[in-house]
Amino acid sequence: MGGSIEVGDKKSFNVELNIVPFIDLMSCLTAFLLVTAVWSNIAQITIQPKGKARSNEPPPDVIKPVISVLIQPDVIYVGVTSLAIDPVVSKKTNGEYDWALVTNALVALRKEEAFDGRKDIEIAAESTTQNPVKYKDIIRTMDIASANGFDGVGLSEPTSLSWRPTL
Amino acid sequence: MPVHKAGPRLYRSLPFKHLAKGVGSVGGRSSNVAMNLTPFVDMMTILVTFLLMVFSTSGELLKAQKGLELPSADRKETLQIAPIITVTKTDLSFQGNQVASLDSLLKDENPQMKIEALYLRLDAVGKKIKEDIAVGKDKRAKKACDDAKAGLIDPLNLCPDGLVILQADEDTDARVITMVVTTAKYANFDNLLFAVKKK
Repeated sequence: MGGSIEVGDKKSFNVELNIVPFIDLMSCLTAFLLVTAVWSNIAQITIQPKGKARSNEPPPDVIKPVISVLIQPDVIYVGVTSLAIDPVVSKKTNGEYDWALVTNALVALRKEEAFDGRKDIEIAAESTTQNPVKYKDIIRTMDIASANGFDGVGLSEPTSLSWRPTL
Repeated sequence: MPVHKAGPRLYRSLPFKHLAKGVGSVGGRSSNVAMNLTPFVDMMTILVTFLLMVFSTSGELLKAQKGLELPSADRKETLQIAPIITVTKTDLSFQGNQVASLDSLLKDENPQMKIEALYLRLDAVGKKIKEDIAVGKDKRAKKACDDAKAGLIDPLNLCPDGLVILQADEDTDARVITMVVTTAKYANFDNLLFAVKKK
């Protein structure tokens, strides 16, 4: 590679720049980066198991209100214990739950004084052979919960939820 | 066979001499060909920049498997190293070894929600991790565990004691997930990392 440099007396002279080491370095770097590249972009959602396996734990001294999310094949319930808050019911339409409704419910609960500084939330899925609940719906619920500051997700079996819908 | 004088003779028998005479040059004179390397260097620079941007030091923790499509999420936290429970469309496996088929798990009426075969393996691995931390084999892990006991939890460097990764297919029945989570809790694995694809 060449270049022209002008000096003070308006004469210019050509300079040959040796770019071979640069190309060598680039080739080695490209080969190394291609070999070590990780193409799958994977993240994590942290949860704490709750429910049956925790039955030997002592009960808490002060009973705090708990947010419970129950995912059923056709509907998602967002309910709260010990507080006079109506549960939110998000029904499935066209094969998809109303996720905006779930998000709004959790945003509203985030603003409640009882949940100020709280991160815990319970999630459970009630699935049957005929009407299964898919894992991706649990993940979506967890993702919405953690996006609204409820990072301490506790996944349990449906019967162990603190709040359950009553017929 | 005649004896020849020592010296280079590789490819001497091949008639390449006409090429060396300088094809394209006038009157047999040699000519210098200047190759334009600028586009090549440009391409290399862009490629190296791109590869440096996607470079990850955490390595590839999870292997792609048949019948395993991870669900998507908005989370940005990088996955940590821990024992891996895998749930594909057909099987449940731990650390790459098959534990049970999903059909057999869903057929079983198990009120305890406990998968015995998985529990035994998790329990064995859990005890080994505890021993390693107690001995101080991994100083970083020991520090993370000491910090966790003191209430200082770094979400990017969790204590490996009681930490397990669950990678499951997005269409897996929630009952299987509940069983796995409950079994992990029985084996004292208090933190489950759900592997997800970043959106």
